[in-house]
Amino acid sequence: MPLANTPTSVPVVVDNEKCIADKGCTVCVDVCPLDVLRISDLTNKAYMAYDECWYCLPCQCDCPTAALTVNIPFLLK
Amino acid sequence: MAGIFEDTADLDELAEALRSADAGERRVAILALADSGLPDAVPLLASAARDPDSGIRLQAAIALGSFDGAEAADALTKALTDADPAVTRAAAESLAELKDPRNADVILPFVAHPSAFVKEAALRALKELRRPEALKPALDAMRDPNAAVRIQAVGVIGFLKLEESVPALRSAASDSDATVRRAAINALAFSQAPSSSEAIARALDDAEWPVRESAAEALGRSRSGVSAKDALIARLDDEFWQVRLKAIRSLAALKVRAAAIAIAHGLTHPEPNMRKEAAAALGELKASEALAHLERAADDIDADVRKNVRWALSQLG
Repeated sequence: MPLANTPTSVPVVVDNEKCIADKGCTVCVDVCPLDVLRISDLTNKAYMAYDECWYCLPCQCDCPTAALTVNIPFLLK
Repeated sequence: MAGIFEDTADLDELAEALRSADAGERRVAILALADSGLPDAVPLLASAARDPDSGIRLQAAIALGSFDGAEAADALTKALTDADPAVTRAAAESLAELKDPRNADVILPFVAHPSAFVKEAALRALKELRRPEALKPALDAMRDPNAAVRIQAVGVIGFLKLEESVPALRSAASDSDATVRRAAINALAFSQAPSSSEAIARALDDAEWPVRESAAEALGRSRSGVSAKDALIARLDDEFWQVRLKAIRSLAALKVRAAAIAIAHGLTHPEPNMRKEAAAALGELKASEALAHLERAADDIDADVRKNVRWALSQLG
């Protein structure tokens, strides 16, 4: 899988203000079936490490603080 | 859910985290408590359900749904009157997840609550607990002005499967609200009471097609549904194909061979689902008198219909 070099353009966008990964939450990382989400060593927040997504949405639905948004491509909506 | 929470099942540590000034830490503690699955987590989650932060209360209400027992039920019933509607909705959802019949003792008093939402949630939670004590409050709730409450009351009575509750369900089948009538028809079918078929059959003439659809479907599941076979055959001419489709399905389930030619007319209906069901029903009935109809439908434009027609023809022998 390609590394997500430009995190702003990946499908899973994390609102760092809302993300509580720095408090120990790993829900999005745990539920992702593709294992493409990680907790950043720099910010201690969740981010999309690999640019691959099934748009299955558990990360968005299960996030306790609604910090994740999965931007589904128009043609898949 | 796996991950870091496996290492944080120390309840003292989590209780301490629940007292943190940081809402994020309290939220993570709730997730860890839910993940622990330990019965001792319930009192901690119950206290978190009273947190000043509504987001924390919401998280606690969701987490309590994965536990069971009177303490969880007590915390969730209290959360039904939370100031935040998101918390009350989550509490109602979680309460319905609890399946221990002993929870009924905690939930029953809330059926008489002045709020229609609380009454509805309490009745919904009582439904699958199947406690006979719920019958009287549910019968009282059948007179509630709110249709959502009456629907849940019908559900409680239906799940109890008591012969003495059939008159109440029969009366609900004539409710002013179509959704209540529909729920009553389904409850009557679920009860399998011999005296229920007549009321279900009457609903085949209901003014609302969803009620007629439920009635047509319910008769196929009813042990005495065959007594309403003429009324079901009459529904094959209903103006809504959804009703006709259920009538076809039920007539096949009840093995009403006399309906075969009337069902065969469904093979030329513009709705492919109708043609598909008609073919399947004729196969189930082994209706050799419909052979010509089936042969004409063998080249149907829809692949699913053709498949069912082929199967039906194979059943005729």
